[in-house]
Amino acid sequence: MRRLGFALAACLVLSGCVSTRQFADVEFSPPQGSYKLLVLRPDISVGSVTTGGLVEPRADWTDQARTQVIAALRQQQAGRGGDATIMDKRSGLGGVDAETVAELERLHYAVGSSIVLHRYNGAYLPTKRRQGLDWTLGQDAVDFGRKTGFDYVLFMHAEDSFASDGRVALQILGIAGCFVGFCAPNVGGGGQLAYASLVDLRTGDVVWFNVVQAGSQVAGIKMGDMRTADGAAQLVDRLLGRMKPGRNVRERAGKAK
Amino acid sequence: MSPIDRRSFLHGGLGAVAALYAGSAQARVLPRDMAPLIGPGYRAQDEDEKGLWQLMERVEEEVSGSNLLIRDDRLTTYLGDIIGRVGGPAAKDMRIYLARIPEFNAVMFPTGFAVVFSGLLLRMRNEAQLAGVIAHESAHFLRKHQLRGWRDTRRKTDIFSFLAMGAGVAGGATGVYAGDLVRLAQFGTILSLLRYNRTLEAEADAMGVRLLADAGYDPMSMSETWEQLIGELNLSAKYRGKHRERDFALFSTHPSPESRMADLKLSAAEVRQPGKSYRDFRDRYLAELAGIRPQLLDDQVKLNDPGASQYVVETLARDGWNGFLRFHEGEIWRLRGKKGDEERAAQGYAAAVFYADAPADAWRWHGIMLQKRGRTGEAKAAFTRYLQMAPNAPDAPFVRQMLAS
Amino acid sequence: MLLAAMLSVAAPASPQFLSFGGYTLVEAREHKVGDGNMAVTPPRPWNRAPRSIFFDLSEVEDWTQNGVYLDGISFVTDLKDKKALIRQYRRDDRQVPVFRSDMTAPEIAAMVESLYRIRGGAVDFRTTSLQPRQFMGYPGFQQDYDHLDGDEVRRRGRVVGAVIGGRLYMAMFDATQMHYFDAGIGDFEAIVRSARLTH
Repeated sequence: MRRLGFALAACLVLSGCVSTRQFADVEFSPPQGSYKLLVLRPDISVGSVTTGGLVEPRADWTDQARTQVIAALRQQQAGRGGDATIMDKRSGLGGVDAETVAELERLHYAVGSSIVLHRYNGAYLPTKRRQGLDWTLGQDAVDFGRKTGFDYVLFMHAEDSFASDGRVALQILGIAGCFVGFCAPNVGGGGQLAYASLVDLRTGDVVWFNVVQAGSQVAGIKMGDMRTADGAAQLVDRLLGRMKPGRNVRERAGKAK
Repeated sequence: MSPIDRRSFLHGGLGAVAALYAGSAQARVLPRDMAPLIGPGYRAQDEDEKGLWQLMERVEEEVSGSNLLIRDDRLTTYLGDIIGRVGGPAAKDMRIYLARIPEFNAVMFPTGFAVVFSGLLLRMRNEAQLAGVIAHESAHFLRKHQLRGWRDTRRKTDIFSFLAMGAGVAGGATGVYAGDLVRLAQFGTILSLLRYNRTLEAEADAMGVRLLADAGYDPMSMSETWEQLIGELNLSAKYRGKHRERDFALFSTHPSPESRMADLKLSAAEVRQPGKSYRDFRDRYLAELAGIRPQLLDDQVKLNDPGASQYVVETLARDGWNGFLRFHEGEIWRLRGKKGDEERAAQGYAAAVFYADAPADAWRWHGIMLQKRGRTGEAKAAFTRYLQMAPNAPDAPFVRQMLAS
Repeated sequence: MLLAAMLSVAAPASPQFLSFGGYTLVEAREHKVGDGNMAVTPPRPWNRAPRSIFFDLSEVEDWTQNGVYLDGISFVTDLKDKKALIRQYRRDDRQVPVFRSDMTAPEIAAMVESLYRIRGGAVDFRTTSLQPRQFMGYPGFQQDYDHLDGDEVRRRGRVVGAVIGGRLYMAMFDATQMHYFDAGIGDFEAIVRSARLTH
């Protein structure tokens, strides 16, 4: 699936360390027990950063990382009791045609962009204050779940690059570009950028959203290399392993103690 | 992107960057020197090329699944046939997609798929002109321009990438439509790297002419396309009260459309062989486009770029005026809305309804213009005619009310 | 799509786009909108989009419930003869037609269409209905439309408006066809019914 330019750019400012920032629906409980998860067209890419600061895609690195990340994702989900199906194409899903999948992806792209703009990039909406993550894909997502038999759909993007030096000016221009319909690539000095968005197909709601940014050029902090099994597991753990329940769920749990 | 992207001409962000390394004026590239660098069934070879291909395969997946494409099997087949004729040794490997974007443009990607914008189909007068643009794009692929351009860019310093980034930002801001295709694919920088420097464009022109003539098309059609582009840019500027030349002042080292047109004429004369006949396949083109042309013209006129639209209408009217073109002439004036334009629009609609093929919309607008001039009786007759022709039109309830009042 | 969102697509890159924020709460009570000549009462709280002094007109005000890519209401108040719905340069190649006091509803509907095509990135725009409708007690119109935008999202909109004393007043609702149009149209209709002139 397509990456969300806003998320990438906003997080570059924070580069130099690992940062994850997640939001959840107030009633969100991380999936547990036996559930069926669909991972829709995960977008995983690895490139090398040239001296000019461009990310050059590397086919072999991308293939390695893709294999590793998907394996790590399956393992991690299985540990929670989840049965994960990874879909690489829009076609081939029983019960729905490719165009239905495409429409859901397109709506999610608009919803995901809204979450990034209004949750991560500072354009806070007053009506959503203290509402947790409050966005939905609506009835179309519910119908999709009913027809396909999945409980959740996960949208994810991960990219990694191995680099020389970071250039602040470029980063700022890259961010500006995102607002005019053009997104610069990962112009930091390399590093990981990933996000995941979890939709509960019983309600259609986007119940959980997380963005991970890891800069790789700061001394003393060792970043995972997602081309390796360990690095991929680390990425999946950062991205999906530390799901926090929603506020209401936490508060109820606190009172019960 | 293509040499004939009018947005990039007008705004020139990337043009300025390209000029940095394009050098000054140089001799014309000769068609006979342009041998294809790849053969049939070509696949990526080097490491960087493989990475580019993998990325572009994902771009193609996005593009092919996009709802911005015009899904018309007949047209798609027609375009595929053309690339099959002018694609040289890679003819069978190339794919072509038609996007509903009212811009004068086409893009060839490094893996051999091309995206043709619908605005291009509107402007071409015959199949040879369209084939010329497609041949030019094919030449980019056959000469490995994307890879060469990418390697060239990669060699640049940090200063360069800074400039490229700024230009990319400017490029994103120039045209909503092109920008959106960039956003669709989400590989903006990679796409911006597909804009070529002057040498590569000159190569594609020279080779395109040759591919065109080899396929039996009139090679002169490419310079005609440029002539039309120049005419359109000039009229567009004139209708907004400015000079086109102003737009070139920023990067005067960049070749002017006029010099490319001149080179294309020389090259076309060179590749023609005595005794061989070259055709423009005009009738076939008109027949294939007949179904979609009203939509294409509508998309253009509604952008309210009156000079460009008027140029397009007049170009089409070289084959004779009809109710449909007269109607759009009225639309152009109505949308421009300057002093006296409404009167011109009224005249356009009045002229349109004299033709038997005037669209229903012409009668509706004719009625509105009459009503605004107090000619109520005639207005009602026009509205009645509109409702007869389009009883279920979305605005029929409103027009019925106008009729009743 | 909100008018503000369109502008951010079409406007050149400049630092003010880096600072977002500035959305303010619109409580569920009567508010003056636009230049203050019109008041509406939303049935629940909405968010008012920040204004950019460079690109917005005082006659236009934008609200959203879930964010600019998903839904929005724009109010146009007291727009004068020869003024456009957005700020643009006289020499732009493509321009949104200016409003004229003597415009009929089909002309205003065409102006709205051009706004979406020129500034909103719509590649397809279809008016699905244009019918007479009273607005704030004056004879006006309702335009319904569907459009497909460059981000591949299909959106749906409704405009209710009237020309009053030679000035244009409109309330516009636009949202994704999937979910957000149906989710917001009830609020919009309540807002339209509540609208009144304040002078």
